[in-house]
Amino acid sequence: MSALASTAAQLVELATEATDATATAADAKATAGASSAGFAYGLAAIGPGIGIGYLVGQAVQAMARQPEAAGQVQTTMFLGIAFTEALALIGFVVFILLKFA
Amino acid sequence: MLGIILAVEATEQSNPILPTVPELFWGALSFAALYLLVTFVLLPPVKKTMNDRADRIRADLDAADAARASAGSAAGEVHDQLADVRAEAGSVVDAARAEAEAERAQIIGAAEAEVATLRADADAEIQAARTEALAGVRPQVAELAANAAGRVIGRDLDVTTTQSVVDRFLDSPN
Amino acid sequence: MFAALEFPPIDNLVKWPAYFGEGQFYEFNKIALISLLAVIIPTILFLMAKRDLVPSGVQNLVEGTVEFVEKQVILSAIGPQGLKYTPLLLSIFLFVFFGNIFEVIPTFHMPANARMANPVVLAVVAWVTFIGVGIKSQGFGGFMKSSLFPPGVPKALMPLVSLIEFISTFLLRPFGLAVRLFANMLAGHILLVTFGVLCITLWQVGPLAAILPFSFAMLVGLTGFEVMVSLIQAFVFSLLTAVYISLSMSAHH
Repeated sequence: MSALASTAAQLVELATEATDATATAADAKATAGASSAGFAYGLAAIGPGIGIGYLVGQAVQAMARQPEAAGQVQTTMFLGIAFTEALALIGFVVFILLKFA
Repeated sequence: MLGIILAVEATEQSNPILPTVPELFWGALSFAALYLLVTFVLLPPVKKTMNDRADRIRADLDAADAARASAGSAAGEVHDQLADVRAEAGSVVDAARAEAEAERAQIIGAAEAEVATLRADADAEIQAARTEALAGVRPQVAELAANAAGRVIGRDLDVTTTQSVVDRFLDSPN
Repeated sequence: MFAALEFPPIDNLVKWPAYFGEGQFYEFNKIALISLLAVIIPTILFLMAKRDLVPSGVQNLVEGTVEFVEKQVILSAIGPQGLKYTPLLLSIFLFVFFGNIFEVIPTFHMPANARMANPVVLAVVAWVTFIGVGIKSQGFGGFMKSSLFPPGVPKALMPLVSLIEFISTFLLRPFGLAVRLFANMLAGHILLVTFGVLCITLWQVGPLAAILPFSFAMLVGLTGFEVMVSLIQAFVFSLLTAVYISLSMSAHH
């Protein structure tokens, strides 16, 4: 138990140090870029998220109805996921560009 | 410890997405090398092994099919032969049965005929014995009858006359 | 509390120092080393494979890979007439997979495809291949006609449709191929680095702190997930290349 207590104390110490450091190094432009990057990725993930969920659900239904066609359905499912996912990934690239470039 | 997963700090901040020329160079070189190796060195022997195996399996399957077909025809032959044998056995049995029937009929006929002759002989013997017995009895009956009648009427009767009467009586149906 | 974790700048995650030839076009860093290993390892595996009639060990692995590419990628996307592209698609599959899998191999901890260079090379190869196949099987005019002028579109809309088709076929396809692979691997790499940094920082605080917040369990789970992603991305890249080849082989729409 004493190990746990000392660990917690060290964590608190670390946290207080870091908040000081970030507060002093606050940069308005970087903050704006980071938050817009977060928004960009979040928005970009909504549509593909719904799309992939729907797609995989339908594929599972198809495989349950016709287990003998499972291989074909699976290949087509991966293709569909690849196309849908591209949108989210472009959002991720925009996130990287906004945040780091 | 962070050095394990982190690269050494870069000299200037640069776009993290654009490819760099050296990496493009090495990537293109590596992929070209891999493509040429796969096309000309690595894939052909593996494909050959796989095709050999497929051919071998196909040949084995064909052989098995042929063996199964020949086994099927042999089984048919055996079946035919069995049917022939069975038919032959049936006809033999039928013939034997017919023969036995005929023999039996003959034996029975012979026996019946013998029985009939024996019975006829016996009948004839009985008839003869009866006739003889009757013939032996007749004079005594006539004499007895004549005596009885003479006693009744008080005088002797002519035996011969009596005889004829007795004969008539005996010959008449009872 | 976790604001204490200072996340390293992105260049620290993906830019690697040169082993030799710094500043030259042949500058050799970890990415180049992984690219070379992605050639050397398949070569060794293929050469190690015996030629037995009954496969076992490495031979099983190699033949399983070849059969997977032939059945799942080529036969399901193109059909039997696509089997002549087996070497190309197998090379793409192997190169992408071995470029990815170094993400979870200790001392490397970096997918080569999280840098844009290798995906771009592969996308250019796929782009050249499907255009070449289209021109070869339909002629230049036929290929352009079938890919730019889909039938059954009203005359008035044709310029717009052609423009969209041109962009989607000749620009978005290779761009999508490269970005899909690159962004997937970069995202996975950043995830692993995030949890790695978290685990290491907490470990420095105390061994108990590293295990308590499940950050280590997440790291292990994500490592397994990234192995799967490496395989799926290799599969998807070769499958998409095969689909584009098959679309070029015959007039579509």
